[in-house]
Amino acid sequence: MTNGEEQKKVIKKSLFKRFENSTVLSIFIAFFVIVVISQIGKTGGSEFPTFISPVNLMNIVQQVAVPGMVAVGMTIVMISGGIDLSVGMLASLVAIVTALGLTKWQIGILPSVLLGIGVAIVLDTILGYIISRTKVEPFIITLGGMITFQGLALLLSNSREVMMHGELDFLKTNLIGGAIDPVTGLNLVIPPYVLIFLVIVVVGWLLLTFTKYGRRIYAVGSNPNAAYLAGVNVRNMKLSAYAINGFLVGIGSVMLLARINVGIITLGQSLEIDTIAMAVIGGTALSGGKGNIWGTFFGVLLMGSIGNAMNMLRFPPEVQYVAKGIIIIIAVSISYVYANVSTSISRLSKHKFSK
Amino acid sequence: MPDKEILRLENINKSFPGVKALQNISFDLRKGEVHCLCGENGAGKSTLIKILSGAYQPDEGGEIIFEGKIVKLNPNLAISMGIQTIYQEHTVFTHLSVIENIFTGLEMGKNGVLQKKEMKKKTEEVLKYLKSDLDPYALMGDLSSGQQRTVEIAKGLIFQRKVIILDEPTASFSVSEIDNLLGIIMTVKESGIGIIYISHHLEEVFKIADRITVLRDGQKVSVYDLKDVTTEKLIKDMVGRDPSTFYKREDVPFGEVIFEARNVTGNGTKNVSLKLKRGEILGFSGMAGSGRSELMNVLFGAANIESGEILINGKVVKQAGPSNAIRNRMCFITEDRQNTGLFLNQTIAQNTIIANLVNTREFFMSPSGDNKVGDKFIKLLGIKARSSRVRVINLSGGNQQKVVLAKWFNTNGEIFIFDEPTRGLDVGSKQEIYQIMVDLLKQGKAIIMVSSDMPEVIAMSDRVIVMKNGEVTAELSKNEVSEENILTYSIGGSKI
Repeated sequence: MTNGEEQKKVIKKSLFKRFENSTVLSIFIAFFVIVVISQIGKTGGSEFPTFISPVNLMNIVQQVAVPGMVAVGMTIVMISGGIDLSVGMLASLVAIVTALGLTKWQIGILPSVLLGIGVAIVLDTILGYIISRTKVEPFIITLGGMITFQGLALLLSNSREVMMHGELDFLKTNLIGGAIDPVTGLNLVIPPYVLIFLVIVVVGWLLLTFTKYGRRIYAVGSNPNAAYLAGVNVRNMKLSAYAINGFLVGIGSVMLLARINVGIITLGQSLEIDTIAMAVIGGTALSGGKGNIWGTFFGVLLMGSIGNAMNMLRFPPEVQYVAKGIIIIIAVSISYVYANVSTSISRLSKHKFSK
Repeated sequence: MPDKEILRLENINKSFPGVKALQNISFDLRKGEVHCLCGENGAGKSTLIKILSGAYQPDEGGEIIFEGKIVKLNPNLAISMGIQTIYQEHTVFTHLSVIENIFTGLEMGKNGVLQKKEMKKKTEEVLKYLKSDLDPYALMGDLSSGQQRTVEIAKGLIFQRKVIILDEPTASFSVSEIDNLLGIIMTVKESGIGIIYISHHLEEVFKIADRITVLRDGQKVSVYDLKDVTTEKLIKDMVGRDPSTFYKREDVPFGEVIFEARNVTGNGTKNVSLKLKRGEILGFSGMAGSGRSELMNVLFGAANIESGEILINGKVVKQAGPSNAIRNRMCFITEDRQNTGLFLNQTIAQNTIIANLVNTREFFMSPSGDNKVGDKFIKLLGIKARSSRVRVINLSGGNQQKVVLAKWFNTNGEIFIFDEPTRGLDVGSKQEIYQIMVDLLKQGKAIIMVSSDMPEVIAMSDRVIVMKNGEVTAELSKNEVSEENILTYSIGGSKI
């Protein structure tokens, strides 16, 4: 390639490429605008669109907080070049272990919570160990993990739910008690687990962007051979990504248990699909080395908003699957579509100039 | 004997952007003949056989004449006309049996049902003819590379090919396997098939060739009948560039010995010793597959050392992985920059800072700090990019290579291993890289350079070590370094 060609390539860089998160952000904004317009259209503009009322926005954040925490872990794993299908069943297992600790085994709140989180870290680290020490695809190993964890959870709970008596209710107390939404007049609620989610997002962002660790994770996912020759301990970096993910699954699972108040196998169902989708919408690549926490954050909010908006617009709940699916496809293919459009535009304009 | 001729090339040209890979090549092959192609790395042998197998189309003007008819080849046509190419890299199905490998794509069937018995019978017949005791049901993956080649040749016989092309078939063979293969080739030749044989090993060439064609820089130099030629004559033909056209580099005074290897064995290399002084470029020459890159991996700690020791500044060091080597101020510019050197989808800044992380203590880093480092090297090395936030995949080859250099310069390394430093670069970029290398020497650093580019080795090296089959065959001082000497030691038979 000559230097001239390369200069052109640099100049041609599109808006979509210059800001990493512009794809997910533009979809996110477009989605909000569409929903608000259709709400205004329905009421004829006589009412404030309730979709963007503070109480509803809080509601969305509450709903996505738990999958959001796990999505942060999933993003780190995927940037390192891996994937973790086991998170859903791991979350169910952890919730059941914690619930058993609180009720049947009566070991107290803190020990039960620590036990649950510990189990999550240990099990995901084992998967990470196998993945980083062998050449077997992480997809297969974590698929095996998922089935194993499901079995363990069913064994421990005798295939029944573990009822709780509000032992973890302190995790859902309202931190801003008495605050009123000026639009709807309803009480505003921010429970602790929403704060924890936001803290995890910020810490995840700092970890990936402002530390040596983050740089190495990207390097490992981008090109493990080059990373090894540049002095990066590729195996341990991969291992650590799963350990961190396990920790976040553990925390998320305890929060989920606090919300639902019953330890049951369905708690974590399809969590892996949702979190992978959130990360992917946010621009994380399955091939590794690409992605960032803020992209995932907006992916999380977008996924949460879809179901909520469908309810508001009185669509049947089945429709939201279709909508979610289509939005995932748009999110991952739009940059390719855009690249093609921009090259054909530039080809056209070149044609014009040459004439 | 034109009646015995199968294949003839007339005035074939092939150019790639910036390179003329073949110029005016004429070549012919007769029935029952083994015609060997000789030449250095990059002389055009592989391009020529890719044209014969239909993988490349020659440029306008030349003609390929097959059995008296002018043809335009593509891979399918070449095979259906009876030209089979057996490539250097294995192209076998390791999970399938010998029979299945032979008949893949050309299965014998009747009404959609495989004629397994028929196929087995044919396979057995041919293997017997080749005096091979291979089991037709053996899995290809369980066979040695010599046996796999036998199967590929058997395939050529079963489908009554007229031409078989073998590209470096013995690269990973043991001595007995080589003899076995040469025997099989002699048998096949009896049946009237024309064979084109490419090898870096002149002793093999002298055992089986009927005629030998020598290529150099994409041109045909000579063609000999075996009886008219000697090793010395062949090597003379393969070299012969004008040294006054080579790059002229400045000489730099040497300092003390900075790096030493003693009897290093491992990763396919045997008993290699070397000493490297500050201000010196030690060149490594040899044919492809002679074990040079493998040795570099051992020296850098990326492959296990079985025995021997490595000394840096006179002290024995432990080769415990690349991170240790980097701490010992070693740098390794690998031959394949895209696969082992760069993080293509990351920015220049991210590529530049990564190796030096081994040397820093701070856990926290800022992206703007990375960008400053990247910008510094963009200026220092003249990388053509808008900013250090440009992704490396958008750079040209020469600029990508400079990013690799930036990554290592940032570690403050002193011992540089350059493996094929200018592969695939245009002349301008090459000279820039050469100048950068000389600048390193002036700073008192030292360079080990592996290169298959003969003018590069001769122009840049203060000394040259020649390798063959994982062993050092010669160490040539500055005034002994010549194309002829290097080639003699890298391909010559054991008698030299």
